[in-house]
Parts: sequence; C-alpha cells; structure tokens
Amino acid sequence: MSTHSIIGKSIPLTDTPGKVTGLGIYANDIAVPGMLFGKILHSPHAHARIVRIDTSKAEAMPEVKAVATGRDTARPYGVLPIGHDENALAFDRARYIGDNIAAVAATSEEAAERAIELIEVEYEVLTAWTDPLVSMNAEKDWIHENRPHNIEKEYKHEFGNLEEGFAQAAFVREERYVAAEINHAAMEPHSTLAVWEPDGRITVHSSTQVPHYLHRTIADVLELPMSQVRVIKPMVGGGFGGKSEVIPLEVITPVLAKKARRPVKITYTREEVFYAHRGRPITIVDLKMGLTREGKISAVAARVIQDGGAFGGYGPVTVLYSGALLGALYDVRNLRFEGRRVLTNKPACGAMRGHGTVNVRFAFESLLDMLARDAQLDPAEVRRRNLLQAPCITVNGLRVTSYGLPECIEKAVERSGWREKNGKLPYGRGIGIACSHYVSGAANPIIRSNMPHTTVNMKIDRDAAVTVFTGASDIGQGSDTIQVQITAEVLGVRPERIKLVAADTELTPVDLGSYSSRVTFMAGNACLEAAKNMREQIFAAVAKKFGCAPEALEARHEEIFVKNDPAQRMPFDEAVVRAIDFHGTLVARGSYAPPEEARGGKFKGAGVGPSPSYSYGAQTAEVSVDPETGEVTIHRVVAAHDCGKALNPVSVDGQVIGSVYMGLGQAMQEQMEWNEGRLMNPSFLDYKIPTTLETPPIESIIVESEDPEGPFGAKEAGEGSLAAAIPAVANAIYDAVGVRITTLPLSREKILAAIREKRKREQAAGGSKKTGGAA
Amino acid sequence: MSLPALHVVRPKTVDEAVRVLAQHGPQAMILAGGTDLLPNLQMRLYAPQVLVALKEISGLRGARAAKDGALRIGALTTLSELLAEPVVRQKYAVLAKAAATVAGPLQRNMATLGGNLCLETRCRWYNQSHFWRQSLGGCLKKDGTVCHVAPGGKRCWAVWSGDTAPALLALDAEIEIAGPAGERRIPLESLYRNDGMNRIALQAGEILTAVLLPAAKAGWRGVYNKLRLRNSIDYPLAGVAVAMDVDGGGVCRDVRVAISAVNPAPLLVHQAGETLIGKKYSRELIERVAHAAIQRGKPLTTSGSTPVYRREMLELYTRRGLEEVWGGRTHSADRND
Repeated sequence: MSTHSIIGKSIPLTDTPGKVTGLGIYANDIAVPGMLFGKILHSPHAHARIVRIDTSKAEAMPEVKAVATGRDTARPYGVLPIGHDENALAFDRARYIGDNIAAVAATSEEAAERAIELIEVEYEVLTAWTDPLVSMNAEKDWIHENRPHNIEKEYKHEFGNLEEGFAQAAFVREERYVAAEINHAAMEPHSTLAVWEPDGRITVHSSTQVPHYLHRTIADVLELPMSQVRVIKPMVGGGFGGKSEVIPLEVITPVLAKKARRPVKITYTREEVFYAHRGRPITIVDLKMGLTREGKISAVAARVIQDGGAFGGYGPVTVLYSGALLGALYDVRNLRFEGRRVLTNKPACGAMRGHGTVNVRFAFESLLDMLARDAQLDPAEVRRRNLLQAPCITVNGLRVTSYGLPECIEKAVERSGWREKNGKLPYGRGIGIACSHYVSGAANPIIRSNMPHTTVNMKIDRDAAVTVFTGASDIGQGSDTIQVQITAEVLGVRPERIKLVAADTELTPVDLGSYSSRVTFMAGNACLEAAKNMREQIFAAVAKKFGCAPEALEARHEEIFVKNDPAQRMPFDEAVVRAIDFHGTLVARGSYAPPEEARGGKFKGAGVGPSPSYSYGAQTAEVSVDPETGEVTIHRVVAAHDCGKALNPVSVDGQVIGSVYMGLGQAMQEQMEWNEGRLMNPSFLDYKIPTTLETPPIESIIVESEDPEGPFGAKEAGEGSLAAAIPAVANAIYDAVGVRITTLPLSREKILAAIREKRKREQAAGGSKKTGGAA
Repeated sequence: MSLPALHVVRPKTVDEAVRVLAQHGPQAMILAGGTDLLPNLQMRLYAPQVLVALKEISGLRGARAAKDGALRIGALTTLSELLAEPVVRQKYAVLAKAAATVAGPLQRNMATLGGNLCLETRCRWYNQSHFWRQSLGGCLKKDGTVCHVAPGGKRCWAVWSGDTAPALLALDAEIEIAGPAGERRIPLESLYRNDGMNRIALQAGEILTAVLLPAAKAGWRGVYNKLRLRNSIDYPLAGVAVAMDVDGGGVCRDVRVAISAVNPAPLLVHQAGETLIGKKYSRELIERVAHAAIQRGKPLTTSGSTPVYRREMLELYTRRGLEEVWGGRTHSADRND
C-alpha cells in the first residue's frame, strides 16, 4: 500500500495550531454583544419532592433578565427513544444532590450567582436510594414511578450450552469484581452559548460530541421546528463520552435565551461537570468461567449490575455492551449474560471511553489469568489458544471481518520481553498481559431508521479549493484531519488545498456524532465516496481533453495524468477549471450506512454490540510493588493495537497512549467517592487523574489487519486499548506479589492488606513460597 | 464561584501593612502568593472586605545570613526561589526536599514560604464549594454546628497540610513577626495552636516576615517523606521530616523529627531526641521513634485514604526517614516534578 501519498503519513492534526497558540475557539471563548450569563440552582437533597419554588426575589433584581424553572422545560428528553425520563430543570422532583432546580440569566456572572441565592425552594425530602443493591429492592419512593423497584432495565442472553460448557472444563472459577465509579475528566468543562436571533430562530454553540442529537432535543423541548434551530460545535476540549448525550445546560441555556430574547452563556464549574457526570458506573460483575485442560475457554457466565444514577441516559446500551462484547474477543461458544441497570439518587452515568466493556474486561482478563495459572499455562499462551477464526460470526451474532489479535499478542510479547520475564522476576516485580477490543461504530443507530449514519458533501469552485462539508464532530480525536487526508489522497492534492467545514447543522449534513468510535470508519467511508465521486467529474473533463477513458487517469501530486502515458498531464487547477466548464461548480456527495449483515441478531438487545468491524489490542504492563506500602510503580506498558490501517500513525499512537493513560488512571487511583449520595471529591484536586509522574512510558505498536470495509482498511483506534490496561496491571501485581485485587481502583490500602492476609495464611499453613524478605 | 468583590490594598512597607491590617481588624486578610487564599475565597470560606497584598513590600524576599549566623529567609520568598538557593539545597536538605514536594511547579512559582507556614487547615468537609457545604448544613468550622469527622465533638480536627513547616520544625527554625507592638522573634513551634479552627498564634495586625534557620543546624542530614497519591499537586496525607546530626563514628549527635497532615498542627516527635541522641544506628531504637510518631499523630477522616493506612504510613515513613539519614538506606528515588 506504499502507493499512497498522504494516507499513512503522520501529518500534524489540523487543530494543532489553535491548540498550541491558544487561539483555538472553544464554546466558552465565544462572546456576542448583549450576552447574558446563566447560573443554575442545584438541589441540596438526593431525593425530594419540590413543593414550592419562589423566584420573585431573583426576578426583582434589575440585572436579572430571565428566570427558568421546571415549568419551562416540561418536555422530557433522553438520548434513547425508550427513555425520555429527564427534564433539564427538575419538574417536580429532585433526584440527586446537584440536580437542576432553577436557572437565571443576568448581566454578569456575579449577579447571576447572587440571584440564584435568592430563589426559595421548599422540599419534601424522600428516601434517598444511593446503594444499587439496596435501591433495586426498594418498595417505595421509586426514583421514577414507571420504573418499579428502581430497575431501569434487565437483560438475559444465553448462547450455546452452558451446562455442557462447564462440564467440559477442567478448571472452573467464579469471582465477584467491583469497579468504582469514574468520570471522563475532560479538560474542557461543558459550555453552551445560545443566541436568540431576531427572526425567532435560535443558534446554539455547544461543547458537544453529538450536534445532531442536541439539534433534535432543543427543537423538541423548545417546541420549535428543527429548521429554526442551528447547532454549532466549536473546538471541543475532550469528550470521552461525557458530551455524547444532551447535558442539562444545553437545554437550559436556549430556554433562558428564548425567555430573555438575548444571548445567554453557561459554562459549568468543575463541580457541576461532576453533577452532570455520565461517566462509568459502579459495576458489580459476578463472573464464572471454565477452562479445559488444553486451555480452551469452555463457558462464560456473567452477571452484571450497574449503578446508573438518577436517569436512564445511555444506561441500557451500557449494560448491553458489557454483555455483547464478551463475545467478539475470543472464541467463546457457550455464553450467558445477565445484566441489570439500577437507578440510584446520584448523577446519571452514561457512555465513557470503552463504553460498558471496560469493567467486565477487567473481570474477564483477571479471571482468565487465574485459570491460566490453574492450568499451568503461560497467560499469553492461553489467550492464543482462544482466538477466533476470522472472518466469522460470533455466537452472539457479531460479524468479525478482520482480526489482528494474534499479531497484537505476538508483538506485545516480543517487545515486552514477556518470555524472559513472565513468572521469572524477583519478588516485588511483575509483568501482566491482557487483551481487549472495541467496535468501530455502532451498526445500529440510536434512533431506528434506514437513513445513512453520516453524509459528506464536497464542493470545488474556480479557486480550486476543495471544501468538505461534514457533520462529523472532531472533539480532539483528529477526525477532521482524517477526512482531509482521505480527500487529499483521492483527489491527489496537498492537504492545504482542503478546507473542512464541520459540525454545523445549518451547513453540514447529518452525522450521528462522535461516540462508539464510529467517525473514522463511517465519516471516513462517506468522505471516500464523496471524493471519488468528485474525482470522476474531474476525470471526465480531463479524459475529454486527452482523448482517453477516465479510468486511464490518475490524480497525484496536484496533477492529473494518464497512467500509461505520464507525459499527458494537467495541473489540478486547470483540470478543475475544465470540469467547471463542463459541470458548473463541482459538487459531490458520499454517505455511509453499515451493511445489513453487520447489524447483528434478532433477539431483544441484539442491536447493541454489532459493528461493521472491531479493533483488537494486547497489552503488557510491568510493575513493581512495595510490599511495605502497597504502592505500585508502573515501569512500562506495551500496547499493540490493530486499527486496520493507520491513516495517520502519529494520531493512532496518540489515541492508544491516551487510552492506556486513562485506563491506568482508573486502574490505580480514580474514583468518585460517595457519602450518602454526596460526592466527596468533585474537583481535580481530590479526583485523582494521574499526573505525568505516575504515567509510565507507554509504547504503542500499530498492527494493520486491513479491514475489507474500512476506509483504506482502517478501523477504530480511540477506545479499544483502554480496557486491557487495567487487567494488565492487576495481573502484573499478581505476578509481583501474589495477590489478586478484585476491586477498582487497585489502591495501596487494598494491596497492602492483601499482602498481609496472604502472609498470614502462608504462615498458618507453615510454609511460604514467594513472599519475599520484607517484614 | 467568582471571587467576591474585594478592596485590595498594596502597602509598600511592613509598617504600612501592619497599620492597614490593624485598621481593618477581622475584615482584612493577608494576600501573599494567593495559592491557598484565592481558591478558598472562591469557595466562600471567608468573607473579608480588604485584602492586604504584600507583594510590593521590598525586603521580604530572598535569603541572607543574619548577625547570629542564622540563614534569614524573607517570608515572601517563593518556594521556587527557595529551591533555587544553593545554601538551602546544600545545608538544609530537609527543607529543600520538603519544599520540592509542595503542590506543582506552577503553584511553587507563586506560593511563598510565609504563606506555606500560615496555610489554612484542611478538611474534606470544609474545603468544598459554597453549594456543597450548604447542602450539608455546614460544619463546625464554618456555617454549622456539627463536626462530620467527630460528630458530637466540639473540636475542629481540620488538618495541617503544609510540607515546609515540619521540615522547619525539624531544623528548629524561628520566625520573625511584625505587628502593632513591634517585632518579635519566636520559635516556629509556638506559632501552631493545634486547633483546626484557629490554627496559628498570630495576633491581629501581625505579619510573619521572615524565617531563621539556625547556623547550628546547617549541614544536618535530612529527609522528608510525604504520603500522597500523585507525585505532584497533592497535599500530604501524612508527612514526616527527619533531620539528624551524625558524627564521624555514626553516633547521633542530635536529631529532630516532625510530622504533618495528621493533626491540626505540624508537631515535633520529642521522643526522637531522648531515644536516639548519643546512640549508634539501631533498628530497634528507630522502631521506638516510629512508634512515638504514631502516638503523636492522630489521623482522622479529614483527608483521603483511610486513617488506619495513614497512621501505618506515618510509622513506616518515620522509620524509613531515620534509616535513610542514619543508616544510609534509601527506599525509593524522589519522584517529584
């Protein structure tokens, strides 16, 4: 594939200059004349009926231009069509500490803060359900009346024959794994500016991953036709799922703007970001797995409970992902999954990088490691013995088209020195391995339809500039750059010739959003189609001039030439002028919808998990553990990732390294700490995202399996490597000091306690194996 | 929240600052580097009307030798400047090591030594936003009547979480204070009241102007061990400063050990001297001092991690600190930013 001139090259991302100079415009950087500042009053109670709200004192302030309450946002919404359970401002009930009760727009931020203090609210406090295991047995004060016992959703899937599978096993283990709740911790807090236009239209600039869903929701809640609403996504400072559904301020701001007939901006404080949340839920995984003497996984049974917080949100999808992606990493023939999403009086959870799959993968890869040791097999070898034979359809109906996992394992083993280190390092030092995978976009849209998931338009006029109109949302992951590269490659021009207009609902066609790692695959394919269509039009004009067939032409290095007679050539600019003579201004279109065969089975819940293709990854982590403190030092992570084809290798490396970094944060130290529904650490001082000092060298290895349906063979790179990081470290800790930590984070306190427990057991048993010399 | 509306006064001399402070009484607060005060103001932990910014007063920055041979460090010296002083790095190892662990490089460029010695005490029930505290009905220290750390108690346990104070206690530092009644010089130890509510013994109108490191402590071996989850940014969950004077034969001539982040004040572990002076390295004696440290330290749920773990680490870090300065054993390389 060395014939490409721009695909496969590590060109700098198009948003880099804005980021490094500070000139990039994020939502909070935008200011317009007459702009007001909005502030939100939050609930101090985890669960309470709102008896009375008196906003008169706030309204009496001359600086206050609008006040809104639940009456102004009475139409409920939610990202899933089955779950419209949310009001941007609470209608009659506060469901978590931090819930949105009322909002004001005032001429200064300081005045808005004062006005909020003047709003009087009378509450009738209800039982607060904050523990999912208690909440799911509640007999009264249900968080949503139409969700009895606070159970949002339950699924049970069974494939193959579990009984037979476990009967074939020589080793069976069952463990409970519990993961703490974590937040995306995107650097940019959510920010929305809503501009009420004089003609009654509304324009909303928002830090979102999903302009299209926001567009629909604003139109719905404000009862405006979609044609009167415009959503623009400026630069976004990270999303990781936290901006992948409509966030309350994105509705509250336009409501205030409509009431005030003036522009209004709200930017969340970091604490408010934690209340808006939508991160990874507390997850309880009861996992049972059987392994044959030969090291084949013979059966897997998983029971998963997720603590979803106060609203459904993406919850049903999250819990389904935790079951569906048990199936497409290894060859598992007998699989049972029971999933339950529980409501509690805490901020809603939602999608977060590796959506639904991460905590279950921690459980799976930890338990598989234990079984490998039971079978006295090398943990890397056990993984090799359970590979899929791609292309194939898994037992739960997922179509696997390309499968670089074998090469990922091989390369990670090779680079890490696994063979020399596994089980051979001195006490206190260890190495672990784990694998993971992820979808390259959901094959089924959230809102059921047969429309394309994404469309790209393209235009070339007399200046010979190529303008690409795409709905895809670059949130820092680099999708704009990828579309520029694809266009430049097909048209044979320099990337500088291409201008990308993205994520503005007035100018760009619909794209479903930046979630489920869908953009490179789907918008990439749409872009590829549009560019090819464009090239055909240009070739038609050039072929006429050269008297050849259009198929005889090639576009490269800013020229069009006859493949077999390169002396016959024409600069791109001239070719464009000829084509415009012929067609008028050049326009082209491409779109993408996943093929029918990729859309999965027919059972209830089968819609989540199917993807046009899957990424794969294998990782090793090398750690040392201080047996006196439980402190873990991660020395090195090697992460091999099969992204199909690296359209921009440095960007793939960045995504893999970023995924591993996030995984390590969850593994070692991040957790939202709750006390009776109250978040104890809603700040970056107390919520411990790792600094560079805790972050080891992370070596990314790109594996290219050339997916038959991905653009130039590409598939996802931004999420799949996260999940493996956590069990790789947990398994390395076991290798180092012989203890299994089954709850996240893998904190020092737990490791130290486990080391002591183990020592006690061994002393009681009268012998000690690998316990080291420390006191 | 945004900063409250404030009047900022910028005196040019210490005398003028003292005058302004005395004039406004409890309505005024001192602003040095602002790294502690400004976030606390955004959280509405206090409502002063006047901030007395010391930045424009000359002569409060830098280190120089005092008449008695002590090293006199101006209170407005930033922690970055302090770390750049060769004499501090070469002669007062424990201070250099402790200062290097404070917050992150950006904060150290702003934060001053005097400010670090006058830090507000911290508690996870107190260092929260106005909304957060209000939703809880406040706490004993602010806007409420109940201590959430020790319900039923009438004492505030908010914790001292400075890093340079234990190091300076280990060096037997003194401080200079300017006030309406003139200047006074006191041992640093007597600045701290071990009361979460009312942490330091500065009188109305008084300003901490300088720190004095005694000449007799120059060249002592020193180490500061800090328990924290991250190797930058974080406040200590426990801190142990150890300074020791060892003779050529390995005999401990003098030793001082101070602990931080486990009480409302940084505290000396007085048993260290009684136990170790005149002795040769002994694991057993070290254990006794480590044990004394946990008699002195009382970690509660004011901070992250668990009281049990912090107590254990306090003991271990004391032991490790003494082993390093006395037995030459290093446990882990410094991983500061």
